[in-house]
Amino acid sequence: MAACTKGVGKCIFSLRLLRSLQLQHERFLSTSMCRLAAGNDGKFIPPSKPVIIDKTQTAASLRKFLSPEFIPPRQRANPLKFTIERKDMIRRRNVLNIPEFYVAVTMADPNASGKTNRFVGICIQRGGKGLGATFILRNIIENQGIEICYELYNPRIQNIEVLKLEKRLDESLMYLRDALSEYSTVDPEMKPVPISPTGEVPVNKMRVRMRPKPWSKRWERPKFNIKGIRFELCLTPEKMEHAQKWAEPWREYDMLKEYDTSKLEEDIFREVQQGMSNYTSASGNWCNVQRSQALLFVSSISLLYIMSSFNVIALRYLH
Amino acid sequence: MATWSCRFLLLRGTGVISLRAAAESPVQSLGCVRTVKTTTWFEEHLTEDNQRYMRKSIAQEFRKQTAEKLNPLKDEPWPRNEWTEGSRRVGLVAVKLGMAPVWTKTGERFPVTMLQVQDCHVLKHLSKEEYDGDTAALIVGGKNVSPFQRSEKQLEMFRNAGVPPKQKVTVFKVTDNALIKPGTPIYAAHFRPGQYVDVTAKSIGKGFQGVMKRWGFKGQPATHGQTKTHRRPGASGPGGDPAKVFKGKKMPGRMGNTYITAFGLKIWRVNTTYNVLYVHGSVPGHRNCLLKVRDTVMPTRSSTLLNPPFPTYFTEEEVDLDEDLYDDDLFVHTEPSITLT
Repeated sequence: MAACTKGVGKCIFSLRLLRSLQLQHERFLSTSMCRLAAGNDGKFIPPSKPVIIDKTQTAASLRKFLSPEFIPPRQRANPLKFTIERKDMIRRRNVLNIPEFYVAVTMADPNASGKTNRFVGICIQRGGKGLGATFILRNIIENQGIEICYELYNPRIQNIEVLKLEKRLDESLMYLRDALSEYSTVDPEMKPVPISPTGEVPVNKMRVRMRPKPWSKRWERPKFNIKGIRFELCLTPEKMEHAQKWAEPWREYDMLKEYDTSKLEEDIFREVQQGMSNYTSASGNWCNVQRSQALLFVSSISLLYIMSSFNVIALRYLH
Repeated sequence: MATWSCRFLLLRGTGVISLRAAAESPVQSLGCVRTVKTTTWFEEHLTEDNQRYMRKSIAQEFRKQTAEKLNPLKDEPWPRNEWTEGSRRVGLVAVKLGMAPVWTKTGERFPVTMLQVQDCHVLKHLSKEEYDGDTAALIVGGKNVSPFQRSEKQLEMFRNAGVPPKQKVTVFKVTDNALIKPGTPIYAAHFRPGQYVDVTAKSIGKGFQGVMKRWGFKGQPATHGQTKTHRRPGASGPGGDPAKVFKGKKMPGRMGNTYITAFGLKIWRVNTTYNVLYVHGSVPGHRNCLLKVRDTVMPTRSSTLLNPPFPTYFTEEEVDLDEDLYDDDLFVHTEPSITLT
């Protein structure tokens, strides 16, 4: 009886195995049959090529971003002046791609000495309004702090590339001059970090360690309002308390100093978008010219970052 | 204003006060110094509806007047002459917009001042005898203003020319072949890129200043035993022989707020739609101030004035003028980036 049951069990097992094998085989067969059926009469069709997305290339940003130099300063000038300037800025932006960047973006760029040059550094400040807008890149090369002030709309700039896009805790990173050198050192051969074209820009919440005092400015004073320094490592609580003596807490309630640009920004943003699209979708010869320029730009991205000689304000100082 | 002052006087219980009475005995009248205003605002005795009507009709009139003057060559034009070397053209009145950078094709950066020409018209022609006996002159005005604040006497010239009243009125000396009919509008295209101009304006007032700021004196050292002498003028001249201080000695005083001319400024670019001139460097005056722009008188720069629009630029003559006129050396932002070889 026992032997019989054993035999039956074996038999069932073998049957199951067979069935499963058959099933597998069936599936194999069916898939191949399907493919053959799909293709015409047994012809071989190679599988479609995989789409490789190169994430190192910076995609055009889909974020709603208006460069700060478009917002006119608060003054009694005729708004027409800024309108005319904006037209020129849009024209230049149609030729040279000026990407979105903030303070603390590592940028590859231009500069002097020979005919072309490439400078990589961290953007520590953006200044100026209108056509005269500037940004300052800082890097440490051979233990020497280098800062170069570039004009955004200078025709000598060949290419601006954002290698790493992030925001920092402060508006201006001038305190990096007094921080340890590791915070402003950027590798010149740095590869671009992929940026997602949509979504929020990541905020780098790094707080830097400072070199011992004296600093170029008293960064602990409330008027700088600096969040990116680890004051607890270099200043005693008494000193931090003492710095509050220069606080002016009533300033934030000064309604005359309020400058609400939100509405202005939206209008200008619309104008800029329109201006950028106008040039690309224009008809006739103009369009061809534009296209060839666009192609030029792409090739320059993939090759080198050529830079012509440049008006340079280089601040060199010893560490 | 007038009613308010009346009420004030009634409360104090004084009698009728007139200008003469105030001038004769200002202390007696009330015991406090007051100015009696005889002027009135134009809307003082008008209802709100009437005011609105007045403003609207004036705006319409201004528009009509400027539209009429757009084609000065059609109705009874004055005889025109050819441009010759040595003739002086009329200038124009412009408004300062602000400063901006421009770049040349070699990549150099220059600061420019943007000047806008707003409703600039020729108002009157002064013949040689009327003006100074040497040259003829043209009176030119710029920037329309409200006629309500002007007296009848002031408005007479504008009415004769058939243009709205102007904020700034200036005189330009011109040669006899460069006369223009009053009422002719002057545009920014009157000047062409590459030529040089002189710009006259009232400089920004600095108030009462010491000699170091006003005349650039060196002053005295801050330390090394100086007593009460750091920014002082020092000696004002020799003592015994002339025994006086010469006239014109540089001393502290009011600085700025005077008419200054910046000579020989290059025109880099002209925008014909907005009538904007891009003039090299800085010009005197504050933002939005009214300036006088004319062809330069500098002998070395006058050769740049080759075949300018003479006696001025007429819109119906050169219809196909570009929106932007650039200097040959100027970088245009639609061009690709500069590569230096």
